[in-house]
Amino acid sequence: MPEEEGESLIHVAIEAETLFTIGPLAFTNSMVGALLASGVLLLGAWYISRHPMLVPGRLQSALELPIEMMSGIISGSTSRWRSYAALILGLFLMILVANWVGLLPGVGTIGITHVDEAGHEAVIPIVRPASADLNFTLGLAIIAFVMFVYWGVRAHGGWGYLKELMGQPLYMAPLMFPINLISEFSRLISLSMRLFGNIFAGEVLIATMLALTTAIVFVLPLAFFVPAVFLGLELLFGLVQALVFALLAMTYISVAIAEGQPGGHETDHGEADAVDAGHPAADAAHA
Amino acid sequence: MDSNLAAGLAIGLGAIGPGIGLGLGVSKAMEALGRNPEAAGAIFVPYILGLALTEAIGIYALVIGLLLMFV
Repeated sequence: MPEEEGESLIHVAIEAETLFTIGPLAFTNSMVGALLASGVLLLGAWYISRHPMLVPGRLQSALELPIEMMSGIISGSTSRWRSYAALILGLFLMILVANWVGLLPGVGTIGITHVDEAGHEAVIPIVRPASADLNFTLGLAIIAFVMFVYWGVRAHGGWGYLKELMGQPLYMAPLMFPINLISEFSRLISLSMRLFGNIFAGEVLIATMLALTTAIVFVLPLAFFVPAVFLGLELLFGLVQALVFALLAMTYISVAIAEGQPGGHETDHGEADAVDAGHPAADAAHA
Repeated sequence: MDSNLAAGLAIGLGAIGPGIGLGLGVSKAMEALGRNPEAAGAIFVPYILGLALTEAIGIYALVIGLLLMFV
């Protein structure tokens, strides 16, 4: 049966597989990925705070590079950037590391052999990149969602926020309220689905390329470089998707803040540019 | 079998629009960058955001494809 052969060559599981259960809680392989990403971040934080130098060494400046770049962008968004900078930076770093964990050798290939009821043998990978699990990305998106609704409510007040959802001419409210509500929730869906879709599709792409090239690698040994190209591409996509998630969360929050300020969004943007130009970190990031 | 065909069609046809849109977005950004290289910092964030929002359409097609394949 050719279909089953294809399935054994490329192992695609859309949901994270359970490694073991603790009572009612299933411990999945994407949780291992998330813990690994947290561990890497904690280790980096511990290392950098152990003996921080004013003139950074090579490793310290490499670790500081993404943070400097993001703080340059965040400090240029609104005048109240200090209140959400930590959240955006945290989202960015967590997603970046979680994406890149999936590119380590052994992730997705080393696993436990599992035989199901039908007698099919399948390998359950021990580590699965956390962002290739919808639960992880949806969790992050809910955090971002709660934050920008919180800022919207704080800027307008609870009743003012509802009024904002109803739209400007009040007689259009029955039509506009559901539309605005859906558009508010579609941010949640698109934030989580974008990250999940990109990273999951990347995993499937690399698996497919590996399966295609292992078939001809005995004829053309150089074929192993083909998946390597896609690995490089995924390295770039991991960075871009982390950046996109953090920037979208930042934009939603800063729009919610800017709408609440007198003078509206336009003048605030002008201010933001002025702040941006005067900030040394921002200049360094843009250079 | 039918759902496999439908999934292939969904992602294949669904990638056309975002592909054109991404190309337009990148070409305009590069044009702006060529005219005014100092504006690179100002262009960068709206550029990434625009690409992300365009790409979301393709991701919706991918989600439909995944739903057809696995659900």
